[in-house]
Amino acid sequence: MSELRKLTFGYLGLLALLALTVGSSFVDLGGFNVALNLAIAAAKAILIAMLFMHLTGTLPRLAVAAAGLWLIILFGLTLIGR
Amino acid sequence: MSGTESVAFDTPRRERRADNFAMWVFIGSEAMLFGAIFLVFLVAHIDFGPAFAAASKHLSLPLGTFNTAVLITSSFTMASAHRLALHRRWRATIWALAATTALGACFLVVKGIEYGKEISEGLAPLLGLPFRYAGPDPVHAEFFFGLYFTMTSLHALHLIGGIVVIAGMIALWRTASPANRLRRVVAVGLYWHFVDIIWVFMFPVLYLINR
Repeated sequence: MSELRKLTFGYLGLLALLALTVGSSFVDLGGFNVALNLAIAAAKAILIAMLFMHLTGTLPRLAVAAAGLWLIILFGLTLIGR
Repeated sequence: MSGTESVAFDTPRRERRADNFAMWVFIGSEAMLFGAIFLVFLVAHIDFGPAFAAASKHLSLPLGTFNTAVLITSSFTMASAHRLALHRRWRATIWALAATTALGACFLVVKGIEYGKEISEGLAPLLGLPFRYAGPDPVHAEFFFGLYFTMTSLHALHLIGGIVVIAGMIALWRTASPANRLRRVVAVGLYWHFVDIIWVFMFPVLYLINR
């Protein structure tokens, strides 16, 4: 049942990251609070995608890469014009 | 019979792979929807940072944190359902799915309590409700709460959709072949985890900005 152990560790890791992100919000890190929160959120998303959603295989990764590319264009072109 | 639901596929494995790809494409299109709203929030946050930070302090951090933990737990039970379905432990799979919907419902109840609190404090600029805000820059604080209700209610609608689909899946459980049970658990699981990921980003963006 190593699969179960992997899921459990992933779950505990997600809860630890949640505690870290809430805890960090009580500490003033200057401008880095937002960056840290978003980095932790991205780490959680990657954990969920890899462990829970089994993001493997060419086609699913292609779909995720395409979505990511369009989001980069969306955010990039909006922010570059400001 | 090969055990596929559609005649287009030779084997259940091929059908599962097609399902999987289609779900990821669907998730990509959902990411566009939420991405656009996150972008609106980001631009507004850049322009009205102090007003947004002050308004964000009026949200309940304990309830938001609790709800994040609830949703992460529901993703864990959903992943367990997938694992159990792979081992064809159907009764346990149903229990894991039921636990997932119960946790999803718990999230919605807590969200409802939060909404009730915000409406009673006059912080809900929707449906013609009065907006009473004592802090600085009430105009942009109202914008923050407008975005907050838009984002969280859109997320809640997605969660309700997930709960309805899982409930329907459990209702049709007896009539489904083992291959189809597994396919459905995998597909709805991908959707559920995606809705969880959206919340994982919404929580720090809305609740933790410059606390």
